[in-house]
Amino acid sequence: MDFRLSDEQEMLRNGLDKFLATRYGLDRSRAAAKTGAGWQPDMWRAFADDLGILGAALPERVGGSGGGPVEVMVIAESLGHALVVEPYVDTAVVAAGLLLRAGGQAATQVVERIVDGQAVVSLAAAEEQSGDRWLDVATTARRDGTDWVLSGAKMMVLGAPIATHLVITARTDSGVSLFLADVTAVERGLEMHAFRTVDDRRAADLVLDDLRLSDDALLGQEGQAWPSLAQARDEGAAAVCAEAVGAMRRVVADTVEYAKQRHQFGQPIGSFQALQHRMVDMHMELEQSAAAVFLATLNLGADPATRARAVSAAKATIGRAARFVGQNAVQLHGGMGMTEELAIGHYFKRLTAVQYEYGTTDHHVTRYAQLTRR
Amino acid sequence: MDLLWSPTDIAFRDEVRNFLDEKLTAELRQSGRLMTSVYSDHEASLTWQRILHDRGWAAPAWPVEYGGCDWSLTQHYVFSRESTLAGAPSLSPMGIRMVAHAIVRFGTKAQKDYFLPRILTGEVFFCQGYSEPEAGSDLAALSMTAVDDGDDLVCTGSKIWTTHAREANWMFALVRTSRGGKKQQGITFVLLEMTSPGVDVRPLVMTSGEEIQNQVFFDEVRVPKSNVVGEIDDGWTVAKYLLEFERGGGASAPALQVMAEEVTAAATAQPGPDGDRLVDDPAFSRKLAEARIRTDVLEVLEYRVLATLADGGHPGSASSMLKILSTELSQTLTELAMEAAGPRGRAYQPHATRPGGPIAQYEPPPDGYVGGEPWQAVAPLRYLNDRAGSIYAGSNEIQRNILAKAALGL
Repeated sequence: MDFRLSDEQEMLRNGLDKFLATRYGLDRSRAAAKTGAGWQPDMWRAFADDLGILGAALPERVGGSGGGPVEVMVIAESLGHALVVEPYVDTAVVAAGLLLRAGGQAATQVVERIVDGQAVVSLAAAEEQSGDRWLDVATTARRDGTDWVLSGAKMMVLGAPIATHLVITARTDSGVSLFLADVTAVERGLEMHAFRTVDDRRAADLVLDDLRLSDDALLGQEGQAWPSLAQARDEGAAAVCAEAVGAMRRVVADTVEYAKQRHQFGQPIGSFQALQHRMVDMHMELEQSAAAVFLATLNLGADPATRARAVSAAKATIGRAARFVGQNAVQLHGGMGMTEELAIGHYFKRLTAVQYEYGTTDHHVTRYAQLTRR
Repeated sequence: MDLLWSPTDIAFRDEVRNFLDEKLTAELRQSGRLMTSVYSDHEASLTWQRILHDRGWAAPAWPVEYGGCDWSLTQHYVFSRESTLAGAPSLSPMGIRMVAHAIVRFGTKAQKDYFLPRILTGEVFFCQGYSEPEAGSDLAALSMTAVDDGDDLVCTGSKIWTTHAREANWMFALVRTSRGGKKQQGITFVLLEMTSPGVDVRPLVMTSGEEIQNQVFFDEVRVPKSNVVGEIDDGWTVAKYLLEFERGGGASAPALQVMAEEVTAAATAQPGPDGDRLVDDPAFSRKLAEARIRTDVLEVLEYRVLATLADGGHPGSASSMLKILSTELSQTLTELAMEAAGPRGRAYQPHATRPGGPIAQYEPPPDGYVGGEPWQAVAPLRYLNDRAGSIYAGSNEIQRNILAKAALGL
């Protein structure tokens, strides 16, 4: 048993933390999210060129460094601590995993471009009637000569407004399949309604109106997408859990610091026992979350049932913790916690969104119960 | 003992319902339904106030001689309940429900004659200047100074969490006129015109993006002594009197019932984790049922306080209990609405809602596109704004301190 990071993983963490602390300001990133391009392309470039994080967990054959789930955990936690809005998990973990497992020339080339920072890829899975259940797909794909023609609508596609490529789920006679679309090459058949999310990311609703894609757009075997999608969902959930731990570390530290500095009734509010106990509970939620991230991360390579059970345990734990830590951090900051003046308000919104991403807390508790039922 | 309304109360309820049916336009109902916090959008709120004023119902709790209604407490509750159930916009509490009571109780004849009729019409619109950056829960630690200078007090300092400071043309404020002695002494209650030289309002952007709260800066602002309510140095007496109006005797259960109904309707329309209706999901339906049970019980608690008041009693620390229960229940319901909104609950679409203030740094889509239903756009904003419920008007920690002392003798 060993929870230590390797020297390379330590270097990755330290380099990334140092970069984010000096270069990734909260003010600048929020300005970009709210009134600018929705993200900072120069930061994404630096992620690829200066830090190499986009390929850190991807194989060497696509230009990556050959790391795995532990590298993802390290990176996601650092990004969460700095509240990075650029779509690392969506692109370099979820989409890259789907593309790698599909294989084939077109998919592999896109992964290579993810590694060098040229491609941003979004997964278009959720639909109005499906809610968060990715297996419920009403969007259809049909053959027309050698082409594929996709029809339907997707909602809440994270990162879509800034994506170069989309991975789209669609149903054929043989089941759910994945299709790769190069957004820059699409001329018609794709309507995008872009908006921002409450946690300052970019997302869009998509209307696919006879979107015509070439033969090689099909990823993997027709109708056989679910095992890979299920794995991508678990990998996304684990990465988001690590991100949440990074965010919670900052939030708990900020709250304790605020409680020491803020004076009311002639003493620091941190001297009041009721508030001390609340902060101790926040601290314990955080420590359980960090442990839960190890549970998920170290089981991502296990068989699907073991993997699913570990990820659900982690996501349920992080969901509970993100709610408790976020809500109480706001409460202990008082009115200031309700504003965008301090970091806490921004972190609170991210910790709220985390609870609903890659399966809600209830979803994971229910899945855990199903997996452990005899 | 029974929980039934009397025939007189029912007749009154029908009268109110008829009025609401007739006067509450679809546009106003929409403003009420798509509110993102306890504050309606300013224009809708003022429009509804004028309609109520025409009927003589804008300030029912005032003494009749100043424009109030000669209602029983039950009738007040019925009116408030029916208005909420019908989706009426809320009126700003600062003028009608707060400072007016201080003016009625402590004001001079000139103050009553000037302010009360203008508050009723909306011509005078008040904001509240209590909290300061270093005086929140510990309100009596306030330090904004007011220096005696002939006929005026000259005020310098800052107030924070001033709701609608930019829309208001008057502020009622607590200022420090002398130091030494207990911190509750030496405070004075003043009425201050927001257009006075030296007043500077800076909006605070809330996590919902709304600019509804403000910090207000005062640089040698002159307030005529004729605008002092009560005695100089004795403002704490006035403030304490008003706090009872802010905290106690409210009817929060009807609004919570409406929220619970909305969540139920939403969960009926939305897919749950297994593809059936969310409302049939055991985990969700249990949480919703528990919240609705708390709402039903809170309503009876409020009735009991009402009955105490009707018998001439004082709610005492029960108002602290109601404040805690109602705000925490409201937070639970806004959270359930977020869950019901599903993935859509993450979309930021304030243009589909009626927020209580302008939205900072936001460009609505040029084609007005709204993803999902308007209530799904409302859900995250209400969730964010409602976190304030356990902070404002005396944080719930402070309320628990009050209960520990007053209810348990600890």
